[in-house]
Amino acid sequence: MISPILEARNLCKSYDEGRIEALRGVDLSIAAGEYVAISGPSGSGKSTLLQLLGGLDTPTSGQVFFSNQPLGAAIDLDDYRAHQVGFVFQAFYLLPTLSALENVQVPMLALSRDAGNRAHRAGALLREMGLEDRLHRYPNELSAGERQRVAIARSLANHPSILLADEPTGNLDSVNSARIMEMLIGIQQKRGMTLIVVTHENEIAHSAPRHIRMRDGLRVGGDESRLES
Amino acid sequence: MAAQLSFTGFAWKNLWRRRLRTLLTLGGIAMAIGAFVGLVGFSRSFEHEWLRMYLSSGTDIAVVQQTFLNTSMDESAGVKLKALPVVAQATPMILNLMDLTPEVNALAYGWKADSYEFDSLQLVSGRRFRDGQPEVMLGDLLAGNLHKNAGDTLEIQGSPFTVAGVYHGGSALEAGAVILPIDQMQQLGGLQGKVTAFHVRLRPPPPGEAPDRYLKRAQAEIEAALPGLRAVPAAERASNNQLVLLAHAAAWGTSSIAMLIGILGIANTMAMSVFERTREIGILRALGWKRWRILLLIQTEAAVLGLAGGILGIAVGCGALRLLAALPQTASIVSASFPVLLLFEALGIAVLAGLAAGAVPAWRGAHLSPVEALRHD
Repeated sequence: MISPILEARNLCKSYDEGRIEALRGVDLSIAAGEYVAISGPSGSGKSTLLQLLGGLDTPTSGQVFFSNQPLGAAIDLDDYRAHQVGFVFQAFYLLPTLSALENVQVPMLALSRDAGNRAHRAGALLREMGLEDRLHRYPNELSAGERQRVAIARSLANHPSILLADEPTGNLDSVNSARIMEMLIGIQQKRGMTLIVVTHENEIAHSAPRHIRMRDGLRVGGDESRLES
Repeated sequence: MAAQLSFTGFAWKNLWRRRLRTLLTLGGIAMAIGAFVGLVGFSRSFEHEWLRMYLSSGTDIAVVQQTFLNTSMDESAGVKLKALPVVAQATPMILNLMDLTPEVNALAYGWKADSYEFDSLQLVSGRRFRDGQPEVMLGDLLAGNLHKNAGDTLEIQGSPFTVAGVYHGGSALEAGAVILPIDQMQQLGGLQGKVTAFHVRLRPPPPGEAPDRYLKRAQAEIEAALPGLRAVPAAERASNNQLVLLAHAAAWGTSSIAMLIGILGIANTMAMSVFERTREIGILRALGWKRWRILLLIQTEAAVLGLAGGILGIAVGCGALRLLAALPQTASIVSASFPVLLLFEALGIAVLAGLAAGAVPAWRGAHLSPVEALRHD
C-alpha cells in the first residue's frame, strides 16, 4: 500500500455553535504526486475540506494527517503552510501594494534570510509562468490570468510538496482557464507535486485522474483504488 | 534585475499606501514630540542656565530661609555668615521676576555693588551701579530687547532708573536680566532689611579633605550657626529650586498630554490599518507567516511611524526652542542650546509611543484566524 501524503479521518467541521455542519465525517487519503479534483455544489463543504487539508483551519472533530503526522499536534500549522503547502485562490489574493516580483517574495520572507536569493527565485518562478515582462507590474496593472499566474508562482516559492487550488479558474475566461489548468497540471507533473483542485466546473473535475464529489458535507464519490493496491 | 523585498520595506509600503493618513499621523506624533522637545528642552535649558550662572560666579552654596521665591530672610544674618571660617565671601541677593514693558519680562536681581558675582560679568558699556542710587545694569540680551544703552533711563514699577551699564553674562539668566542695587530692590518691593538668599563662596578645602566632604561640613556649619536657614549646594539649587521644578512639572505635564494625543493618533491609524488589511493578514497567515511575524510587521509599522514622527518632532521642537530663545518674552530664561541626550530621549519616547499604540492592533491582527481573515470584505 502506498503511504498517503494527506489523510483525513472522520473530518467534521461545524460553525455557529454546531448549527451549521460544513463537513460531517469525511475520510480521505491522497498519495504523494497525485492530482485530485474535488467538486460539488455550493455549500457542499469542498472548500472547507480544502482549508482543513491545507491547515488554514482546524476541524471540529476528526484529524488531518500529513505523512502520517497529525496536523496541529505533531506538526505546527504555520510551519506546515509555510513549508509543505502552496495555495492558489479564486480571488488571487495578491497584495496590492507589492509588484508581481515582490508578491512572490512574500512567502519567502518567512523562511529565507537572503534577500538576493528571494528576489532571484521569485524572478525565476515568474519567468517560468511566462511573466518575464510583468515582473515589476502591480496587481492592478495585470490581467486576471496574469494575476493568477503570479499567484501560482507565489504558491511555489517555498518548494511545497502539495498545491491546493480553490476554484483557480473561477474568475477567468475559458482561454485563461484552460491555460491556468494546463499550467497547474504541468507543474504537478514536472515537480511530482500533489495537486488538489476544488472546482465546480465539470470539465476540470472529470479530466482529473481522480475525482471526489461532495454533497451536504459528505463524500458521495471518488476512487481510493490506488492507495489500497 | 530584481527589486528585493525586505521586511522593513514591506512595512514601509504598507504605511505609504495611505499617504494622507500616514502623513497626518506623522504630523500628530511630530507635534507631540515637538511639544516634548520644546517644553522639556525649555525647562532643562532653564535648569542648565541656573547651573551655569552659579558655576560662572563661583558660588558654592546658597543660604535660604524657606524657598527660593521667598524674600523673607533677615539681611543681618550676613554678619554671622561672613564670620564663619569656611566662608570666603558671602553676598546677599534678591531675586524677582519683573514686567519691564508689556512685552518684556525679565529676571531682576538685587545685588550689592561690591558683590563677587560681578566678577563673572563682562562690562560691555558704561560702569557698575552704585549702592543707594536709582541705577540698574542690563544684560546685553535684555538691553537689545529694550533698545536701551548705558545712560538711558528705564522705568521700573513707576520709578525711573538710569542704565549705568550693559554687561555680558555667560548664561541667558544673566544676559537677559536686570541687576539693581539690593537696597533699591528692597525699596521697590517694600522689603527693607530682607533678602532672598546669601550666595557663598567657600574657602578652598584643607589638604586631605575631599571636596564633597568639605561641602557637607560647610553646609552643616552654616546651618548650625544660622538656625532656621538652609545651606544648599549650588548644583542642587540649580536643579531643585521652585522655578525650575515648576518649569519641569509644566513641561512634563503638557508634553504628556500631547504624547497621549499622539499615541491615540497612532493607535487609531494602526487599528484602521489592521481592520482594512484583515484579508491581507489572512493571506500572509495562509502563506505560512506565524503570528509573531504578523505582530512584528504591524509593530514595525507603528515603530516606523513613531520614529519618523519623532525625527519630525525634534525638528519642530528645536525650531520652537530657538524661537523661544529669540522672543523678548522668554529670551531671558532660555537658551537655544539643548542637551543631545534630550534628542535621544525624544526619539526613544516616540518609538515606544509607536509600539505602545500599535500593541493592541498588532495583537488583534496576529490572532486573526486565516480563514476568517480571508473571508473578510
